[in-house]
Amino acid sequence: MSKSQLSKALSGVAAIAGVGHSDWIADYAAVRGGAKPHDSFGYGAIALKRALEDAGIDKSEIDGLVSGPPTAHERMCEVLGIDPSWGAQADAMMGIQAAAMAIHAGMCEVVALVYGNDQRSAAVNYGGSNAAGGNAFLSYIYHAPWGFTSQGALYAIMLRRFMHDTGFTEADMGQVAVAQRLHASLNPHAIMQKRVTIEDYLATNYVTEPLHLLDYCLINDGGVAFIMMSAERARRGKRKPAVIHGIGRHDLSREATSLAPRLTNFYRPAQAKVAEQVFNMAGVGPKDMSCLQIYDSFSVHIPLALEGYGYCGYGEAAKFLRETGISLERGLPVNTSGGHLSESYMQGWNHQVEAVRQIRGECGDRQVPDCRYVHYSSDVAGKALSIIYGH
Amino acid sequence: MGHSSRVLGHYDKPMWDSIARKEWALQYCPESARFRYPPSPICPDSLSMNYEWRPIKGTGEILSWAIFHRKYFDDFPPPYNTIAVRLDEGPIVVSNLVGPEPEGDWIGRRVQVVYAEHDGVTIPKMKLV
Repeated sequence: MSKSQLSKALSGVAAIAGVGHSDWIADYAAVRGGAKPHDSFGYGAIALKRALEDAGIDKSEIDGLVSGPPTAHERMCEVLGIDPSWGAQADAMMGIQAAAMAIHAGMCEVVALVYGNDQRSAAVNYGGSNAAGGNAFLSYIYHAPWGFTSQGALYAIMLRRFMHDTGFTEADMGQVAVAQRLHASLNPHAIMQKRVTIEDYLATNYVTEPLHLLDYCLINDGGVAFIMMSAERARRGKRKPAVIHGIGRHDLSREATSLAPRLTNFYRPAQAKVAEQVFNMAGVGPKDMSCLQIYDSFSVHIPLALEGYGYCGYGEAAKFLRETGISLERGLPVNTSGGHLSESYMQGWNHQVEAVRQIRGECGDRQVPDCRYVHYSSDVAGKALSIIYGH
Repeated sequence: MGHSSRVLGHYDKPMWDSIARKEWALQYCPESARFRYPPSPICPDSLSMNYEWRPIKGTGEILSWAIFHRKYFDDFPPPYNTIAVRLDEGPIVVSNLVGPEPEGDWIGRRVQVVYAEHDGVTIPKMKLV
């Protein structure tokens, strides 16, 4: 498909008008102390109440509802007392894309997207004999007879190949954890606020080599919610809206279980297609981005996205990390909240909150000056997705 | 924690039977002339549902590797290695490298299947050629 044929129909149509989340720090401490403050529905409900308050709207205005993966849709609607005209069960990215399409199509006007996850207090395992997600992603469980399990291992073996192909080193990888922890130290909502150095990073144990402990996301309880509506309606609201200027998705699922898309091209073909979609739709390019929010279940996502979306050339991520930088101190800031590694592991949902707050200019010590556009990207389990947020 | 276990889906059993005979076979589609892994109902290239179980040579090249330092299964005490191997027939499989390990980079090293017993099940592993 040539650039002129790519749809721009969703550009500037929808906006996030309100965000809310649970108190990740307090709940993390409570759960570590043996308590269980809420279940997944409870965390989602707290987040929704705060998102409604943030948007300055009443629950009665909601006529669309997206429930995150951990919470059954019907029960979430029941718990919240919402009977929507349109709904879906979806992760953060697919939920936002679907909600934007539903709003554009006139299926509904105000969508609440609600996510709650009690993964820490419920002792969810992302590896081993009961690995979460194995029913949906065969690669999570198929290689167990060889002891190969956990999403971390999928990224470890991918990183090893990336290091071989591009000369990327473990010290290069450590730049991500160090920069994101710096950002988290400036974020009052972040669970891990203590700054770390490259030496600290390299001194931590491997979990699955070449990934160190600090390359892994946190596992914590919590909830996040957003209120989406037409950009036009959002502009009349209480808050400065974060308008969606570009949104796109491309999957690479062929040979997913045998890891081919990870090991042979690092999902680059999918990212290239999504980059073309979203930058064309938004009418901007990588150089126009004020900061990036990248889904970081593992730090490896960051160099792969920098290359995949054209922030640097293929094989140049190490050079970009060394010479340009990804911290608020220099270069192109990535994951300004601390991300999944240091703020909270809300499976892409908290990244949208940070994008909205950066666009609004309400991030305090970690605010990116004159923040005009924020690129959110995720490449998880065969799906590359991106959003360009702006004013 | 728990033990590791095989995924035994609708199309997996003939493959594991072939492994138990130490003659690892994969589905081969005569129309696309391609092998596929893991076993599945249809050829993703030709959409033909005809296939034969064809023994593989068991040779290939290491695409990447990862070392587990954390315990995930009772029957896999860390540290242990895992490798991704591009079989000469085309598909990529995950396995373990047994015997001597390469110094430095493992990628590109040639390997050959060897069969190992693990809790009464025959598992295909790899050794350096």
